[in-house]
Amino acid sequence: MTQSPVQRPSVLLSSVSSDSHTWNLVYLALLLEENGYAVTNLGSCVPDDLLIASARELAPAAIVISSVNGHGRIDGARVIRKIRAAPDIASLPVVIGGKLGIGAAGEEQTQDLLDAGFTLVFGDADAHELSTALAGLVGVPAQRDPGVAA
Amino acid sequence: MNPADIHGYVMAAAASGELVVQPRMGMGEPGQMAEGLRAVAAADARTVGTITLDSYTRVGDHEGARRALLDGERLNGFPLVAHGAELTRQVVAAVRGRVPVQVRHGCADPERIFEAMVEAGLSISEGGPVSYCLPYSRTPLAEAVRAWSRASDRLVADAGARGMRPHLETFGGCLFGQLCPPSLLIAASVLEAMFFVQHGVRSVSLSYAQQTNATQDIEAVAALRHLAGELLAVDVDRHLVLYTYMGVFPRTEAGASRILDRSAEIAVRGGAERLIVKTAAEAHRIPTVAENVSALVRSARVAERDSDLPRADQVDYGTVLGEARALIEAVLERGDDIGEGLVRSFADGTLDVPYCIHEDNHGQAQGGIGEDGRLYWARTGKMPLPAASRASGRISSGQLLRMLRFTAESYDVGPGYTVAVVGSGPRGLAVLERLAVRLAERPPGGPVLLCLLDSAAVGTGRVWRTDQPVWSLMNTVAGEVTMFSGPADEGMPRAGAGPTLAQWWQRTDPEYPGPDSFAPRPTYGRYLEFALDAIEASLPERVRLRRIRSEVRGMVKSADAYTLTLAHGEQVRADRVVLATGHVPPELAGPRRRLADFAATRPNLAYLHGNSSTDMPLDAIAPGADVGVIGLGLSFYDVMVSLSIGRGGRFAGDGHGLRYLPSGREPRLIAGSRGGVPMPARGRNQKGAEHSYSPRVFTMELVSSLRSKGKLDFRSQLLPWLLAEAELVYYRTALTARFGADVAARFGRHAVEAIEQAGRPHPVLHQVAGRFGLGCLPRLDLESMARPFAGREFAGRAEFDGAVTEALREDLRQAELGNVDGPLKAALDVFRDVRGVLRAAVDFGGLTARSHEEDFLGWFCPIMSLLTVGPPRLRSRQALALMEAGLLRVIGPDARFDVDPAQGRFAVSSPRVRGAKVAVDVLVDARVPGPDLRRDRSPLISGLREAGLLTSFVNEGRFETGGVAVSESPFHPIGRDGQADTGMHVLGIPTEYTRWFTQVGSGRPGRWSEFTRDADAIAAHLVPAVRPAGADTR
Repeated sequence: MTQSPVQRPSVLLSSVSSDSHTWNLVYLALLLEENGYAVTNLGSCVPDDLLIASARELAPAAIVISSVNGHGRIDGARVIRKIRAAPDIASLPVVIGGKLGIGAAGEEQTQDLLDAGFTLVFGDADAHELSTALAGLVGVPAQRDPGVAA
Repeated sequence: MNPADIHGYVMAAAASGELVVQPRMGMGEPGQMAEGLRAVAAADARTVGTITLDSYTRVGDHEGARRALLDGERLNGFPLVAHGAELTRQVVAAVRGRVPVQVRHGCADPERIFEAMVEAGLSISEGGPVSYCLPYSRTPLAEAVRAWSRASDRLVADAGARGMRPHLETFGGCLFGQLCPPSLLIAASVLEAMFFVQHGVRSVSLSYAQQTNATQDIEAVAALRHLAGELLAVDVDRHLVLYTYMGVFPRTEAGASRILDRSAEIAVRGGAERLIVKTAAEAHRIPTVAENVSALVRSARVAERDSDLPRADQVDYGTVLGEARALIEAVLERGDDIGEGLVRSFADGTLDVPYCIHEDNHGQAQGGIGEDGRLYWARTGKMPLPAASRASGRISSGQLLRMLRFTAESYDVGPGYTVAVVGSGPRGLAVLERLAVRLAERPPGGPVLLCLLDSAAVGTGRVWRTDQPVWSLMNTVAGEVTMFSGPADEGMPRAGAGPTLAQWWQRTDPEYPGPDSFAPRPTYGRYLEFALDAIEASLPERVRLRRIRSEVRGMVKSADAYTLTLAHGEQVRADRVVLATGHVPPELAGPRRRLADFAATRPNLAYLHGNSSTDMPLDAIAPGADVGVIGLGLSFYDVMVSLSIGRGGRFAGDGHGLRYLPSGREPRLIAGSRGGVPMPARGRNQKGAEHSYSPRVFTMELVSSLRSKGKLDFRSQLLPWLLAEAELVYYRTALTARFGADVAARFGRHAVEAIEQAGRPHPVLHQVAGRFGLGCLPRLDLESMARPFAGREFAGRAEFDGAVTEALREDLRQAELGNVDGPLKAALDVFRDVRGVLRAAVDFGGLTARSHEEDFLGWFCPIMSLLTVGPPRLRSRQALALMEAGLLRVIGPDARFDVDPAQGRFAVSSPRVRGAKVAVDVLVDARVPGPDLRRDRSPLISGLREAGLLTSFVNEGRFETGGVAVSESPFHPIGRDGQADTGMHVLGIPTEYTRWFTQVGSGRPGRWSEFTRDADAIAAHLVPAVRPAGADTR
């Protein structure tokens, strides 16, 4: 890492415990880096405890959870409740997106996840809105970085 | 067949020609799972049932699965462990033992799953220590290898104890589903199979997942079978299983069906015995049972029908085989234990999966998708593979997304309206360039696919390919050459606006010698490649270019399309076809045939022929040998340079001319032609790139008025005007040198007026010239320029050598004066400048048959190409130096190249030089034969001739020319039925004789030349067939 983390807000990128997909994470890591964030990618099948421990250790500006296997609704709701119950990280912005349930995504599912404690909930085609939304949540990064080696 | 033994079941199906098909299917609720299995078993296809496990079970969270079941949550698969053996047994009973049932799970530690599975009476599963660790889990690889060792041992022991035959399928042929080049997929699949065998599994299947290019997939499946045969013991049962595309799936039903169909064809053609399908719903949600069954039946039907894909025994899979073998051998070298070898190989990067973020993966490798839709290694990291040919920097999220969606999008849109351009030399590129401009102006409403095919090199064609020696030169100065139909501007180089060859050369080469120099052919080749890249980059949305390096072996026309069959077996369907196949030497005939036949039966003789010196085996000629060279034109110079500079010799300047410094490896050349003097040089170029010439008397108006009266006689009706045009310039140039431009201009006005009044050019033109004091200037006499030794006899070699040397020197003096200031070369340049007018007069049967055959093709054209085409002056100087060094001899006028059966050698002689006769063992034919449809040997053209799609142009029903008969612009071929085929166009050399002087290999900057106009006319005809944007009613 050659960039100072002071200039680049950090994002903790993760999947949920039962989701083994990684293409979404590889893509989001590139996208977020290009938009000026320093990204820590926890990868797939992240146990709740690992996500919470990493959040404590890194103190990111935001947590981005991506899941596409259809269990995001169950696993996401569970892990966000744990985060909101942990006083030291409870106030972090945490967003979730992807294919979060079995069958077509609905208003109800989004509302359930918001009720459970997520700051924002995205569908599976909204990756570019993510950057805009994050900028609103954590402040616009100092510079857009289209391809400097991280 | 016994369904409990999947291998026997699959092989029995294969023996009866059936592809076994299998879904990916898993439901949390036992009743639904049983219903699914029942439907699969009952489907009208040879099937295998699948129980896919849910994500909780995959990660070993059986408690989580139970909880979710209790909470009434829908699971994404069947929780086999949570449901337990008894319930699972009841579910499996739904298939009534009619089909094998496989458990699919994705688990890095499957021991518990295998245990429960065997308890439930199931012994068929899949996965692997690498393929279910790196992509799907956080488990360290070493741990996954240990877990899979335990699990495999357990499966073998437990199943064996219950009298069942365990079977494991590798998942290594899939890994992350996309963007992994096939060699690594094959290696992973074979290594996992070897791992299973090492743990006692005697029945395995090896997987490979469909990737981005069907032919590449067939090569991969063929290589997989090859390596399995090499590396698995003969008594291990094995079959191959293909996965329908596992990456981002097409979103439309049509696209999903197309990719599913393609996978079934790949399975059959590649030789896989089993196919695991996907459904049309794949991109959106977990499919229903009915959707799964429908996909199974559909793929089974596709597998029964014919396919346009090549078979495994028709593709060349050597490259992928070599790469995969190198990877496998590197792992096997790490010891006898495969699992240990895998761990160590990933640890040091010997194996490296692209885009894998698992901690135990090196992460230096990168896969990409090439222009041809094939996967390639963009970075190979530390793997024992050849370095990536196309280096790539850091990839952006946008690029990644495009590659991830590449397959889905190409199947969703379908190929669309397809134009095939056969031949990617300058003619083919010019059509593509104008097509790109016109498509950008009028964007298409649907997808358009442009296929550019070339058997030698896509983007350059054979003649301009980039691997030629740099001493092979073009014959047009760089400043007069462009591949773009408009000048470069501030924007990116693109179709319609790009640099000339000179501008590009200047930018890319610090040793750029200026716009008046002749570029090496490989330099032009690189410029053409640059132009093609720029054209492609500027294609509008929905228009794709596919570059295909393969020979087109045949073409069949059906009611609505053309089907091109390529050398490697693939078929390309096209709505429109442009044939720009360039120069293919026809079958030998007449005297050439005799020379070839004579050499064929005598091993010590060689008769070398072809249409480019770089394509002839000149390297085989021994140093010091006497070599006869037939012809003294452009190809003669190429041969001369190949056998001097190409042999390591050098030409050094000595102030006056050149001196040759031999390498000692040169043969001696004995060359000759009818005229007996090497082709004269082009005049020093004094004209700017934008130069254009306006004819004074040989004008388009004259020609159109003449043609309106009927067929023309070349000698009496055209030649006088053409000659007068050149003479005007000849006299004006001479006057400019003597008295200045004003006097010359006055002469021009007087002369043109006099000609107009007389209604014919001669003799008034010479009379006006006489009044300006030019009476003693020699007349411009084409015949005597072309045949300077006509009527002369020479007493011996020395006398003739002196005459040739003097003729070359005099020509060089004239050429040195320039093509503006030198009267002779300026006048000869006129013939080049008015080619367009002459074409308007003679093309498409403008001349009577007799005049066409005798006056024009028989007399005028040979003289024209001798006098006006010309090599760079450097070549004449080099010829003089070689003559001085004794390495080149011109034999004499009316040169003869005969066979001498008594001696068993060839004889080179001239009847006009006393004693001029040399016996040689090697003859190089440096004449470029004209095209002849009747004797064309290429499978494509001769096939089209046989099918009656191409015919030879016959003038007035009696002079058959051998040129392809085409309509006037846009040049549709005339078929045997006399009708123009409006779906096809033929451009360039094959149409010579129907048209004139088609061997033009470049466009000119400035006002469009016919080269660009012809290409544009074809593009203009192609574009209206493309549905424009806005016409889209959806």
